[in-house]
This record gives sequence, structure tokens and C-alpha cells, in this order.
Amino acid sequence: MTSIELDSVNKIYDSEGGEICAVNDMDLEIQEGEFLVFVGPSGCGKTTTLRMIAGLEDVTTGTIEFGDEDVTDLRARDRDIAMVFQDYALYPHMSVRDNIGFGLRLSTDIPESEIASMVEETAEMLGIEDLLPKKPSDLSGGQQQRVALGRAIIREPSVFLLDEPLSNLDAKLRDSMRKEIMELQQQLGITSVYVTHDQTEAMAMSDRVAVLNDGELQQCGPPEDVYRNPTNQFVAGFLGSPSMNFLEATVSSDGDTVTFNGDADFVYHSEASSIAEALGDRNRCTVGIRPEDLVVGAESGFNVTVTVVEAMGDENVVYAQVGDAEIRARVDSQHRLSAGDDILLGFDDDNVYLFDAETGDSLRTKDLDSAEETEKRITSPER
Amino acid sequence: MSIREHSSIQAVRTEGRIARNRVRDSLPSFPGVPYLYILPFFIFFAVFLAFPVVYTLYLSFFEYHGVGEGFLFAIDLGVFAVEVPRISNVEFVGLENYTRMVGDGLFWLSMWNTVIITVFQMPLMVLVSLGVALALNASFIKLSGLQRTLIALPVSANFVAYSTIFLMIFSEQFGLANYVIQLVGFEPIAWQSDRWWARVMLAITLDWRWMGYNMLILFAGLQNIPGRLYEAAEIDGASAWQKFRYVTVPQLKPMLLFVIVLSTVGSMQLFSEPFIITEGGPSNSTITILYYIYDQAFVYFNLGYASALTYVLVGVVTALSIIEMKIGGED
Repeated sequence: MTSIELDSVNKIYDSEGGEICAVNDMDLEIQEGEFLVFVGPSGCGKTTTLRMIAGLEDVTTGTIEFGDEDVTDLRARDRDIAMVFQDYALYPHMSVRDNIGFGLRLSTDIPESEIASMVEETAEMLGIEDLLPKKPSDLSGGQQQRVALGRAIIREPSVFLLDEPLSNLDAKLRDSMRKEIMELQQQLGITSVYVTHDQTEAMAMSDRVAVLNDGELQQCGPPEDVYRNPTNQFVAGFLGSPSMNFLEATVSSDGDTVTFNGDADFVYHSEASSIAEALGDRNRCTVGIRPEDLVVGAESGFNVTVTVVEAMGDENVVYAQVGDAEIRARVDSQHRLSAGDDILLGFDDDNVYLFDAETGDSLRTKDLDSAEETEKRITSPER
Repeated sequence: MSIREHSSIQAVRTEGRIARNRVRDSLPSFPGVPYLYILPFFIFFAVFLAFPVVYTLYLSFFEYHGVGEGFLFAIDLGVFAVEVPRISNVEFVGLENYTRMVGDGLFWLSMWNTVIITVFQMPLMVLVSLGVALALNASFIKLSGLQRTLIALPVSANFVAYSTIFLMIFSEQFGLANYVIQLVGFEPIAWQSDRWWARVMLAITLDWRWMGYNMLILFAGLQNIPGRLYEAAEIDGASAWQKFRYVTVPQLKPMLLFVIVLSTVGSMQLFSEPFIITEGGPSNSTITILYYIYDQAFVYFNLGYASALTYVLVGVVTALSIIEMKIGGED
């Protein structure tokens, strides 16, 4: 178990069209025993960062430290890490037993009999003791992933790296494996770094979530903090499903009342002092409202025409159009809506997020009390 | 909307298909017509493969006396007669052709020569082609494609042409090989007059021709090994040698086995090179089994004995292949 520190880490690839910066000036500290999740869209640099921590990819500039040791130039096999790959990467010619014990056989002098009992123990922990004599090709995806986990944890590494380990599994299996990985990590207390493009997975599993975009760390913090206090519009839009609604608006102020004028019918008056304060002297901004904060049948609000209704059982996700912008709202299933209905969507002042129209930086987020606290945890708030 | 989804195009395609089906359904159908289409293959197969295979077995129990005269049998149906001509004039001798081999020194010598050449040639070739394939597969190698093509080129060389060139290279007095050997300060080698060096020379010649071909097969196998396995092995703590031993070799096993079996079969059927370069000499030390069969069949016209030798060779090659596959663990 060890802490991990990334200090101004850059990864630049040479390509025919010039240099490509995959990871840009990343500073990040991962605590001992922490479960950190990198999340971001495809090509955001999350896997590259993980592979640099693993030692499978060279660092162009910057340093990576495990505890007090600089491991930047250390080979992967000398870093005392274990990794679970998206496609499992089990050795196809070896039995499950040999796959799990392979690392121990190569890197330790533990006698064969002891390795055998350690393999049994690990397999039992993962519920795969029946599979030990089988070859990987005889196993289902979920079973293969369990074997890959077994191969990783048997060596009791100081760092545990997982590269989208659940994305090849079906939805139901993914949910149960998610829980198992969390339990396993809590039980073993190994410092873990997990990569996913699935924000639900990131929110559900992490102690802290690190949101990446275009090779840059956007924000890092406990999932709820990041969800409530996103540092910019990208983070706000990336976390949450369906994602946050954004409406561009011009701002005019008349005494205590601030008025937002957006596309089509979107007009919003607010008398909240915090909103006026957050805006300063801007005359344009982007208003953000989470789908769950939109209310159907409010006294005031803006008119929309429903385009699609997705029935989820307990609730409906309603898609509507305001000018060029698409609005997503999560509403109780008792509202029987269908495409073509005209409805009034309202929202509360407290639930309004504001973003700078040019930079996308957050001007106002939801939970004002904890905003200051979160600010401290954000490692790299600059874009 | 893409062209594919366009409704009018969909309609045209559907209508075209329906019209085609209607035409097909309205044509009268004759039973057995499909067999007519595949008949040419079976005719060629029967004439050039099945018949020789069976007839060789048949011949191996006879002694050949010359081209046949008259008819094997004739059926007179009144209106017309079916007459099957005699292909050859043969005399049934039972297993005599097979028992004759036991006491035939030249048979044993040619078998021994073939095995010796195979033992020199096959392992050397597999090792060299594996080494070259590994080198060309390394990421730092430039122009890998061009190098692969150049290395594999000898396989397209004409047997006679390249054998003649090797005959010149290994000429004891004027050859390039001995010139280079003397240049670096060694005694010239008696490539043609020493029985062991003559065999080594044939092995080298064969390796030159087939190394590129086998290298390509192994290279393709290497390319198919997922890079993830090496990464997983690296993280498991494997050194470069351990990655080769525990990932490359097992993953390449089917290809290696293929190359080994194919090379063994090829070497056991060695003919053109000794025929042109050494003419079987010195003192019959490079007469291969196929060379001996050729001599028996087309020089001495002992077609019956040659047929029996052929079947023994088939047996030996089959047995060797089975042994190799058993050792290789191919199920």
C-alpha cells in the first residue's frame, strides 16, 4: 500500500501530423488506500495516465512517485503493481490456476506448495474455485474478469490499477462486479486507480473522482462534491445522467431583479442576491439546470414542447426543445406526458448553476456552503 | 439519410430480387444438374490424384515388364463392345517388392542420407527463421515490409537455376564459399568430395530457399499474439526471456509445429537439389530416398519396386508427422 503522486506529468506522442499531447501537465496526489476513478470521454487521456502509472507508457516530462520513491524511470515489473485490463489479457494457453499463480512464480521465491494454497484461497475469495483447472477460453466474460482480478490481488501489490474492467460485461453482471470490486478494495485496502468512461460507475465506486478532458485534469474530488460543485461546464455536463441542461442567455438587471433571456421562450427572473453576485457585470452567461431539478406544472417557468418521453417505470425522462437547445427533465411517472404536449417547466433559484459564456468556468454552483471547502480539494481548477 | 436507407432504392432492390426469383422459379429444373457443375473438379481429381494413388499401391504388388498390350477385359454387348486396354504388362509378385527393401543396401543408404540431411537442415532452419521473424517483428526495425519481401524472395526461385548457382558457389576450387572461408583464414572445405560436407551443403542450400517462407509463417504468428499478453506478463514480473518462454513460444506453438512438420515432409521429399548439385555423390552419400525412387522408376523402369518404395516413404513421413504432432501436443 502506497500513495501515488503525479507531478507535472506530460505525455506527448509524435505523429505524422506533428505532436499530439495526450496528457497535459497533470498534478495529482492519490492517498494511501484510496479508490480513485479517472473518468472522461474517449481520448481524454485517462488510460494513458493509468498506463504511465503502471510503467507501460513512458512519461515525456514530469515525475511519478510511489510513496517517497521516484518510479518515473522504473520498469512496470519493478513497480509492485497489479493491473486488470479491459479485455482481461489472461494467458490463453494456461489454466486458470496457472494464470493466477504466474506472477508469484516469476517474481517471488515462494515454494510451489504455498503458491498452490494461495491460489486456492484467492479463488475461493472470488468464488471461482471450480474453474481452476479450466482454460480461459472455457470461461464466460464475467468469470474471466474474476480470474483477472484474482491474478491481480494474489500478489498483494502496493498499487492496483484497473483499466475499464467492466466495459466488456453485460449490464447486470457489471452491476454485481462493481459491488464486488468495491468490497474487495475495501477489504484489502490497496491504493486503487480505476479508469472508466461511465460516469455512473465513477460516481458509485470512487472515494474521489478525477474528471479528465482533452488530456487535462478538470476536477478531482469526492463524487458528490464534484457533482454539486463542478468547476466548469464540461464537468457539470459530464457527470449526471441524463446530463445537465445548458441554456445560453443574455442577462439584464433591473434593481434587485436579474432577467435571463435565452432562445425561444426561455425567460427567467430571479431576485436571489447570490445570483446577482455570481454574475458580476456580465451580460451573457450559460444557465445550467439538472434534469431532476426541473418541475412540471410549476406556477412559473418556461414553455416547451415535448419531443420524446422515455418511460423508466418509476419516472419518465422527458425530452423537449427550447429554440436550438434540447431540454431533458426527470419527472414523476404520474405525469402522463406524450410527444407533442406543451408543458411549463419550472425550477427553483437554489438549483441554478451559472457558467461563464466564454470560458465555461463555474460562476455559481448548487451547494454554497461547501463550495469553499471543495475549492481546496480541487487540484487543478484552471483550464 | 444515407443512400442505403433511401426508400426508392430499397424498392428497386427488392423488385429486382423478386423478378430474378420469379424467372428462376419459372425455369424447368433437371435433377442432377448441380452435380454437372462440380463434375470438372472430380474428373481432374480422379485422373491426376485418385487414380495414381490407387494405381501406385496396385503396382507395388507387381513386377513391371513394359507398356501393356491388348485388353484387360472386354464386354461384348452385341450392339457395341466395351474394351478396357491394358496399361502395363505386369506380373503379380505379392509382397516381394517390400521384402526386397530389407536387403537393399542402397535403399537403407538413401533413407539414412535423407534423415541426416533433415536432421541438419530442419532445426537450423526453424531456429534461423524464428530469429529473423522475431527481429523483423521488433518495433525498432525499419522497412520491415521490404526486408520481409527480400528475405522471402528465394522461395520463388526456379529449382534448376538456384541449384546451379549453389553448385557454383560451393565449387571446391573456384566457388565463392571456399573463397570467403580462405579469406578469413580457414582451410577450404571439400563440399563436393567429402560425404558429410556434401550433406551439409545440401542442408544450407535448402535452408536458403525455405527460410524466408517459414519466416513469413512465423512472422504472421508473431503478429497475431496480442500485445496485452506481454503487458500482463511485464506486470507479473516477467523478464524478456520469460516473456519469450511463457508467452511467445506457447502462443506460436501451432505455427512452429506447422513449420516443423512441413519442413520435415519437404526434406524427406528432397530431390531436385541433390539431382542437380551433387548428382547423388560423393559415393552415393547424397542419394535421397526420392532420388532413389526416381532412379528405380525412370532409369531402371522398376515401376513395381518404385511404387513399393513410394508407399514406404509415405508411411515414414506420416509416422514422423504424427510423432512431431504428439510431441508438440497438438490435439
